[in-house]
Amino acid sequence: MLTGLTATGRRLRVTLLLLASVLLLAGTVRGQDDAFPFGPFRMYATADAPNGSVLSTRLEAVTVDGAVVRVGEGDIGMRRAEYEGQLPSLSASALGDLARVHARRRPDARAWRIVRLVRDAYALHGGRPTGAMTSTVLLTWTAP
Amino acid sequence: MTTTASTTGAATPTAARWLFAPLPVARVAWLRTLVYLFVPLDVLVTTPWVARHDTAPASLYRPLQLDRMLGLPAPTTVVVHVVEIALLAASLAAATGRLPRLLGSAVLVLYLEWMLIAFSWGKVDHDRFAFLVALAVLPTAGRATRRDLGTSEAAGFALRVTGLAVVATYLLSVVAKARFGGGVLHWLDSAVFVRAVLRRGTALGTPLLDHTWALHAGQYVLVALELASPLLLVLRGRALWLLVGGYVAFHLMTWASIGIVFLPHLVCLLALLPLERLSGGTRPLGWRQRAGGGAAGELAAVSGNGGVDAGGQPRQRRRQQQRTR
Repeated sequence: MLTGLTATGRRLRVTLLLLASVLLLAGTVRGQDDAFPFGPFRMYATADAPNGSVLSTRLEAVTVDGAVVRVGEGDIGMRRAEYEGQLPSLSASALGDLARVHARRRPDARAWRIVRLVRDAYALHGGRPTGAMTSTVLLTWTAP
Repeated sequence: MTTTASTTGAATPTAARWLFAPLPVARVAWLRTLVYLFVPLDVLVTTPWVARHDTAPASLYRPLQLDRMLGLPAPTTVVVHVVEIALLAASLAAATGRLPRLLGSAVLVLYLEWMLIAFSWGKVDHDRFAFLVALAVLPTAGRATRRDLGTSEAAGFALRVTGLAVVATYLLSVVAKARFGGGVLHWLDSAVFVRAVLRRGTALGTPLLDHTWALHAGQYVLVALELASPLLLVLRGRALWLLVGGYVAFHLMTWASIGIVFLPHLVCLLALLPLERLSGGTRPLGWRQRAGGGAAGELAAVSGNGGVDAGGQPRQRRRQQQRTR
């Protein structure tokens, strides 16, 4: 003897399972990240050229007394990958918004006068880092 | 010995027989406890960045399709913390095993909202799919206690669907590599792991940049593991433990080298293991009929569930038949 399900219970479960499967397969084949939770599993799914460059973006700020500080997750409430993922549409005014978030999250810290979005490019050759790295400032926000 | 009418008959498709083949109720009870207790750990300890979105600027809010369908604006500080507290309370209550459908459904809705808060600022992680599926199916198993000696079709469905979600995460990751990586072969010989270590390398991971062959080999190992994942659904006993251990080891190596670990996903891997053994005195109960074959014998063949003694006799008296919706 065992605990069984009714035919209706089975049909309902199978129907929902099939629906979720179709959504997941459609998201995998055609969707983008915003189809979550049915989007493609694309973390580290892209291919970096062994003779290309690895790009890494970071934020740095200049405080009111001139010190240059690296901006961390806890300062702005956002992860690096989050603002990096918005790069094509990110504007300098958004960096100003992040400076205001910092003032709210860290009221005792020195305020930021300048915020810069910097992209570091690490050169590769044959799939190995050559040691060469160049940095480019992509966006700058200066407090009014 | 009797069985439910719905499990009999040659017309029942093999896939449906596999999906609903009974598994121990105690296993689903243990998984439920572990999943619901993981939620506070997740919210408070392992992914505290989600709560930091309480101050993230609305100008950088990038709503997901679900946000847009539901018309959800950027969550305010109050909304983030109300959801956080409600989720913590609901998950702790659900971990007791009481009101499994009501509390389990509440955790599902609140956790999904928590994930919308997490992933609506431009980055989506992929370690949550199986966990969300587990949260969706665990309430369907109904009442279950960790010392229950019985098996049920509802438990079998919940556990197998969680396992399917784990496997789908791995298998469809290969499809994503084919789609976004210019083909799997192209991805295999790319420098993607070098990129990962350059960007996120830990004290243990960064030295691997002097041995990039190991990172390159790791890409092959990853795809092999992802392609092998359906074995998680068919292997049993020691072979299953070894395979699960292999996946856990890979995830731990990833964590050690770049600081990323799929913890919610790893919790769901537990659905594949005989958690009912944690109940101590209660032995795992199988659903294998000794004689006659028939529908029960077929179910035993596809259930992958042991729990019989050397002579094929059930170890414990089976639970009285019930019919649940």
